[in-house]
Amino acid sequence: MISTGMNSVDDMLGGGIPKGSRVLYSMEPGVNGQLFMISSLCSAIAKDLSCLVILPHTTFETFSNDVSIMKAGLIDLSSEKIFFIDAIDRERIQKSSNSPYSAKYEWKTRIAKICKEKKIDVIFAYFDLLSEEFGIGGGLEILAQEDDDLKSTLILELLNLEGEPLLRRFIQDFSFDVVISIKSSYLAVPNFDYFTLVHTSWSSQPQQSLPFVTVNGRIVPYIPRIVVTGPVKSGKSTFVTNASIEGISVDRVGLDGDSTTVVMDLGLLHWNGFDITLYGTPGQPRFDPLIPGMFKHTMGVILMIDSTKPQFLPRAKEMIGMLTERSVPIVIAANKKDLPGRMEEKEIRSALDIKTDIPLFFISATNKTDVRYVLESLVNSITQFPY
Amino acid sequence: MYSYKTGIEQIDRLSGGFEAGTNILILAPPMSYADQLAYALTKPVTGEYAITLSTNERAAEVVDFFKVAGSDKRFIGVIDAITKSSTPSIVDTPRLRFVSSPTDLTGIGIKFSNMIEAIFEGDFSDGEAGLFPPPIRFCVNSVSTLLMYRKLEVLYQFLHVLTAKLKKIEGVGIYILNSESFDDKTLSLIKQLMNCVIEIKIEQNISYLRIQGIRGVNSDWQKFSVNKGQVSILP
Repeated sequence: MISTGMNSVDDMLGGGIPKGSRVLYSMEPGVNGQLFMISSLCSAIAKDLSCLVILPHTTFETFSNDVSIMKAGLIDLSSEKIFFIDAIDRERIQKSSNSPYSAKYEWKTRIAKICKEKKIDVIFAYFDLLSEEFGIGGGLEILAQEDDDLKSTLILELLNLEGEPLLRRFIQDFSFDVVISIKSSYLAVPNFDYFTLVHTSWSSQPQQSLPFVTVNGRIVPYIPRIVVTGPVKSGKSTFVTNASIEGISVDRVGLDGDSTTVVMDLGLLHWNGFDITLYGTPGQPRFDPLIPGMFKHTMGVILMIDSTKPQFLPRAKEMIGMLTERSVPIVIAANKKDLPGRMEEKEIRSALDIKTDIPLFFISATNKTDVRYVLESLVNSITQFPY
Repeated sequence: MYSYKTGIEQIDRLSGGFEAGTNILILAPPMSYADQLAYALTKPVTGEYAITLSTNERAAEVVDFFKVAGSDKRFIGVIDAITKSSTPSIVDTPRLRFVSSPTDLTGIGIKFSNMIEAIFEGDFSDGEAGLFPPPIRFCVNSVSTLLMYRKLEVLYQFLHVLTAKLKKIEGVGIYILNSESFDDKTLSLIKQLMNCVIEIKIEQNISYLRIQGIRGVNSDWQKFSVNKGQVSILP
């Protein structure tokens, strides 16, 4: 097994990458995911594996500067067991070749020679320019080893401008063993990055996703949250309970005999490959100072209102104000849709002063299908990139 | 919705400026001062931010232009795709970020996102704050250069993502493309991503521009000049 250099990824893979595998780190445009490849490279170097790094887009000097900044100088790329083919080599190949065919041959010969002579364990290739010049298939032919005994592990980084179809090609047409897609929430803020283990050739478990932040040159995953908030008695606890696989609510019976949440509702759910924690906030204004602290690492907020109680809308509007200040994605769930006296969408939107960019759903929090639909729309709006 | 003033009196009077989310292509022959026009349109007014992706000149030169034009440099960011190839050890600052070369679309995408994030988080302007949500003008000082390094199909997809992101954050994008170096297919594909096109031509040493895609503004050829970041339409 070869470690990816990231514990959370190794855990998902069941320990690491089996030797001789082909791995793709697919990066969506704009996502800060260069550390995936770099972490794997650093880990291979630390384990004293011999590595070939193919950098057609940059020079060795620039790359080693970038790596030393990302990894705070903790890595030495001048080791005797690391070899590079960089942008300068690419230029030489282009100049000396008179056709794409001869360029391809030159690339292949160079790589094969280094792999054979230096007994390369892992090839790290930045694949954008190779696949652009020779096609994905052609680029992979260049990197392929004829001799099975010498078969190196191959790790690619690729800027994915096409989305899912491109991933499917790597899995189905080119039989990649591991495909990890690194993405970012499509919203400008909060910058919510996550990776998805899309495929492993040795197991058929469903996709798993984890949000991450980069701290001191390391990929650090975290459990995302969705906060369910809203005025008192809008149905937040019912929502959290019906959305969760497990949950608790800390309630107290009020003077009117109904119960109300005084600490917090907590729930866990599994959705689109994410393990998500649901936090239901108490609705009384006296708890407001607690709320901003909950927005750290929040994927989004569901604001519950009671669609039969116009008198609570000013309070809901106040809460939206607190949220938009933090630029957290919001959806509005207008609860109790099946009760008489329900307000119309237009009326609610105008009272809350929200435009159509904030989705509004009429639901019944006791109905699990409704609850799931709201969650789905929130998670999808954050995680799906419209290519 | 926010309107971005063009700084051209006649246009701002008729239309109020560019609507938020507009992507503008400047189609111009070489040596027609298209970069001057693009920078003038990118120049932020008080409260706004500007980011330039420079594939043609160093970050310092880009910042100089905006300084001469009277902008506060704390609101000016540059993604420089030139300097790093000669100075590999150059280090990013919040407002000046460097990518290894114009081929490096991964790097460009990341630096762009980083800058937008810094602006939204208030970490961009040395503690100074502009408007919120921040109005952002973004300029690519030459799509032509990017096209020299990457295939049209790839660049089209990349620009598709960039233009969509700008729409999402309600910014404006300004992109220069050399009108004489590329075939019709290239021009029409890049135009598909835009909702406004400004063409430039030079006849007998006089510069003309023609604007298509701003409501209320006629699309006739008009004489113009740019001086210190100020565009004037001449009679």
